[in-house]
Amino acid sequence: MYCFNTPAVNYHRLAERCVAQIRKYLKLEITIVTNLETFKKFKPLGMINYKLVDNKTTNTRSYRGKNVAWHNKERALAYDHSPYDTTILMDCDYFVFSSTLLELANTKFDVMLHDKVEDITGEDMIIGKNESTLPLVWATVTLFQKTANARMVFDLIQHVQQYYPHYQSLYRIRYPNYRNDYAFAIALHQLKLGNFIPTPMAMLADRVDVIDSDDDGIVFKYNDCANFTSGQDVHIMEKEWCNG
Amino acid sequence: MDIGHLKQHSDLNFKVAQAKKNALEKLRSRQLMAYNERLFQADANTINLVSTLKQHSQDFYVLDANDNPCHITDPEEFLNKLIERNQETLNAYHQLHQDLAHKKTR
Repeated sequence: MYCFNTPAVNYHRLAERCVAQIRKYLKLEITIVTNLETFKKFKPLGMINYKLVDNKTTNTRSYRGKNVAWHNKERALAYDHSPYDTTILMDCDYFVFSSTLLELANTKFDVMLHDKVEDITGEDMIIGKNESTLPLVWATVTLFQKTANARMVFDLIQHVQQYYPHYQSLYRIRYPNYRNDYAFAIALHQLKLGNFIPTPMAMLADRVDVIDSDDDGIVFKYNDCANFTSGQDVHIMEKEWCNG
Repeated sequence: MDIGHLKQHSDLNFKVAQAKKNALEKLRSRQLMAYNERLFQADANTINLVSTLKQHSQDFYVLDANDNPCHITDPEEFLNKLIERNQETLNAYHQLHQDLAHKKTR
């Protein structure tokens, strides 16, 4: 898991919650790649492997109408950072409420990730149309094994990151900033590699507030509606809900 | 029925429909099952396929969810696992379905 705090978001809080969910449902060893500043903020989490790096701080994103710092470029190095034969590389805003990822990890693949998402509010807040000429994938949860093909994918992701403006223009990507989803999509497209998770990733847009949670699911609110999830893994784009 | 009542029903039905849709996605996701290093959906199609092939041979190939071939050498075991997972997920969906039906009739 990659976790770097920014002035706007305490990602370590999300990571702490994420760790608790992984421990409950996946029972896997966890490695967090972070920087010293963020590392100091973590509460004691027990047996966790930390890898401290000096992360790049040059990227930004739009979040709830503001332009905020976004430290997402280290993920391209995940193949080298991971000490595992099979890795579940996950954003710290992806929360597991089931053991589904274990089933995926117990199969044979080079790289596996989602190519479909499901907005669980039913309001279609997530996907824009004609955002690029490339079939989009979601790097939020990426499983990979230490194979020659996976090595190539990550090498190419690093190359794409280095020459991102070129690839952005080549694939007519509208999103203005560097985004791992596109870098992964480009690498997989160029190498004609990758397996896709057959079911879509459940997602909540950053406009949706998470108002309550337990270890089985969350309660969320949007417009004047409230709904809940139970036993379903979910990518939550709202970043403040773990602040307490 | 006045328009206020109709709007209440409309809102409730929308919520129930969305909850059902999410529960079905959850069901499909929970039906993903690893077997012989391949990934299968423990749905009616897979169960029917394995059940049919099993009647003809005790050793056959099937395509997994990513169109990779998988050699099945113990169809009985595979079929049992598929059915078990399928029924486990459907039981959970059935419970939620009943809760939602109850909500609508209240």
